[in-house]
Amino acid sequence: MATCLCEAFFDDVAIATVQVLEYLKCEVAFPDGQTCCGQPAFNAGDWASSRRVVRHCLKVFAGEEPVVVPSGSCAAMIFHGALLEFEEEKDLEEVRQLAGRTWEVADFIVNGLGVDEWPGKFPASVAFHRSCHSRGTDSGPATLRLLESIEGLDLRPFGEAEQCCGFGGTFSVTFPSISAAMGKLKLEHALKENPDCLISGDMGCLLHLGGLAEKGGTPVPTRHVIQVLRDALRNGGLIS
Amino acid sequence: MSADREEILRRVKDAVGAIEHPADYPDWPDGLAVCDKRPLDDRWAAFCERLTAFHGMPLEKPEELAEYLKTFRYTHGYCDPELAGVLAPVLGPEFTLEETFERSRLDDYRFGITRARGAIAETGTLIVTDGQTSSRLGALAPWVHVACLRSDDIFRDTAEAAAALGDDPNVIWITGPSKTADVEGILIEGVHGPGVQVCLLLP
Amino acid sequence: MKVQPMDQFSAELADEVRDAVYDGSASGYDKREEALFGDYPDPDLLRRTAGNIKQHTLEHLDTYLLQAEAKMRENGVQVHWAGDGDAGCEAVLRIMRDNGATRLVKSKSMATEEIHLTEFLEKHGIESLETDLGEFIVQIDKDHPSHIVKPIIHKNRGGIARSFEREGLGAYNDQPEVITRRAREYLRRKYLEAPVGLTGGNFLVAESGRLVLVTNEGNSRFCLAATDIHIAVVGIEKLLPRDRDLSLFLGLLGRSATGQQLTVYTEFISGPKAAKQPDGPKQMHVILLDNRRTEVLGTKCREILRCIRCGACLNVCPVYRQASGHAYRSVYPGPVGAVLSPLLAGNRFPELADLPKASSLCGACNEVCPVNIPIPDLLLRLRDRAKQEGVKSPGTPPLAAWSRLASQPTLWRAVMAGGKVMNHLPLEMLPVRALKDWQSARKLPKWRGGDFRRWIKKHKEAESARGGEA
Ligand code: SF4
Repeated sequence: MATCLCEAFFDDVAIATVQVLEYLKCEVAFPDGQTCCGQPAFNAGDWASSRRVVRHCLKVFAGEEPVVVPSGSCAAMIFHGALLEFEEEKDLEEVRQLAGRTWEVADFIVNGLGVDEWPGKFPASVAFHRSCHSRGTDSGPATLRLLESIEGLDLRPFGEAEQCCGFGGTFSVTFPSISAAMGKLKLEHALKENPDCLISGDMGCLLHLGGLAEKGGTPVPTRHVIQVLRDALRNGGLIS
Repeated sequence: MSADREEILRRVKDAVGAIEHPADYPDWPDGLAVCDKRPLDDRWAAFCERLTAFHGMPLEKPEELAEYLKTFRYTHGYCDPELAGVLAPVLGPEFTLEETFERSRLDDYRFGITRARGAIAETGTLIVTDGQTSSRLGALAPWVHVACLRSDDIFRDTAEAAAALGDDPNVIWITGPSKTADVEGILIEGVHGPGVQVCLLLP
Repeated sequence: MKVQPMDQFSAELADEVRDAVYDGSASGYDKREEALFGDYPDPDLLRRTAGNIKQHTLEHLDTYLLQAEAKMRENGVQVHWAGDGDAGCEAVLRIMRDNGATRLVKSKSMATEEIHLTEFLEKHGIESLETDLGEFIVQIDKDHPSHIVKPIIHKNRGGIARSFEREGLGAYNDQPEVITRRAREYLRRKYLEAPVGLTGGNFLVAESGRLVLVTNEGNSRFCLAATDIHIAVVGIEKLLPRDRDLSLFLGLLGRSATGQQLTVYTEFISGPKAAKQPDGPKQMHVILLDNRRTEVLGTKCREILRCIRCGACLNVCPVYRQASGHAYRSVYPGPVGAVLSPLLAGNRFPELADLPKASSLCGACNEVCPVNIPIPDLLLRLRDRAKQEGVKSPGTPPLAAWSRLASQPTLWRAVMAGGKVMNHLPLEMLPVRALKDWQSARKLPKWRGGDFRRWIKKHKEAESARGGEA
């Protein structure tokens, strides 16, 4: 699942996902009918509308294959959120079936494919923002495991790492001022460590933080974790 | 009032009755919440370490108590009548130990000496009860509270102590002096209760 | 277009207040982490266990309530039941009148805040004095607490010193130590003058009928040493099955609330004073308060009733830190309040239906909650309820249209590819307030819709071409 954010703005993240999975010998299919995971309406409380989108996903991603998503929050929408909004629905079982095989990409690489060291190199200092939807899931530890094993990568821990960046999808639209204040704090903490780039497993966070940084006059390159993995492979001459 | 009772119970029954799979009481070991990263075998030593960490004062001899109180000229206080007989001679003639606590003269007592029912090694906690405390106010209002403890009465941990709460109507676990951080998060000791919490070991 | 009231409140908040709230809650969070992770190898196991015990208790509440009532009666406690806030207030008033009492001293209790007991009693000529230092300051300032554990987190020493001066508690002095001593001197007289001590209850154990109170200052001890009558107002969700549960819950509560292994004073009260004891209440009354708790119990949000009021979710919440407790316009602020307040509001639900929206759903609250309440899920359920009840929500983008679009792939692809026009539009000029606000602080990246689909198509073609060669 490519996610709507990657489709609209971050095509390279989707490309990197394909390249990394193919490097790991996965056969990647991109069902053409895919759109969005249903999260925006779900979070806004419009569950009826959201279910409509999830039902569309059920159709598009029918089958047994794992569904891999380069976004913690879209993955969590399917394996957690959808279960909530379908509690009373007849097709709950189908949703469960899809939920059971939906993975955030780093989690998939480490816990699905059993990879726990990443080859190649990435000679840069990075600040890793643990996106909030990976709380309570295995994505955060999985990502750290991979990042820590990359040659040359200098991971810079920063203060109040547990805090949200303030994006929260429509939250940043309905609560613009609180959301911006949260984002600025996050940037302040992360940039204090002078990283070469800011990375995360969710493009939502990076869209928000990158946008704030640029507007605030302290632009910082942002990379999705999967791009870092892909770039490491490239730098190591393992893929072209 | 009794209408409220019936109504509430009915509403609770209705709500609970509609739950398909009511949760079971989970299995969990007694020691789950016990912090045993510090050694607890020598209970008195462990208790002293914790009590001190929380700004309490463990003392092994009444003479030490006398010395401490004299430093601040705290010579007038309240004392449990059952303890006064033993303590008065050791503390010496400059001390006045009143054996009843007069609430109208609340501020005359600089210290209050009462018995502890027990203590908890894990947390440096003193346990006082209605049964063992000669005056609730005497143990609370003076600036210094001295709880007299027998070393056999120290529980290993909070789980053991909770299991032994018994049927005393008023059991209090005391962990350090009274305190607040309400004003700008700054720690101040001695708000309504004692500013100094002493534990005196009885022979 | 109107904006969300909480966002507005936060934007207008004085820096001084925001800083005080931020520092207070951030330090509360740090202390909690240290205490829990320093002492236990797996604090999450404790949180989950405690959550399961509470959930079990709630889902068998009928049994436990009856058990607690029987036990309390056996212990000599007079048990009263109050269906709603008014009944709770009336019950207190009745006990006061039966005993000819006109003043009471009270220790901190969220349940009494919830039913506005003090205002009610004052209207009926009864003086009700808060004795917790923070609550006392709130009371003399006619203010409201803004945090459930640190009621005056939003105030600074200067303001407090001025209040004390105004109330005749001594010339201006802003030393926290002096402020505390003055309150000590003033309040200890008051305890002695009052015939009644009123408390809440942190836990009520069904098997023993034991009421458990925790305080750091010792004010509730004083209330129960100086007065003749003890009244406790206790929500029916405060039950725990057994005494053994207490070691777990007390350890979690102290550490989660203030980073303490145990709160300074934990009182286990199971009845009036012992016969030989010279001090303390000869009567003990427990008022079991419903006030819509049974209504919540009947919903899928019943997990919120596990709450032990530790305040950890407030401390960690990035929205609370920016907006302060008063932004929540209700007795319970922060994440717990965003769930509980609308639920307890009854038919005033729509007035507070914006609170569950004031969250980025980051889940930090769930992660710290000592009883593992899935607060984000409950916020979402309430958003769904608000939508179903047709409550308007300012600033929300039209997501029904988006969802329709997202279930029509052909149209979707066309819109994605067509979105490129956005790169040529001066978005800041569009007459959409939300978009403007968003853009005023952030820059949107370039639209690249359609690019990935083109890439993957080529990529697949190349692949099958390679496959064909082989
Ligand atoms: S919801 Fe959980 S974290 Fe928040 S106050 Fe209640 S018990 Fe504490």
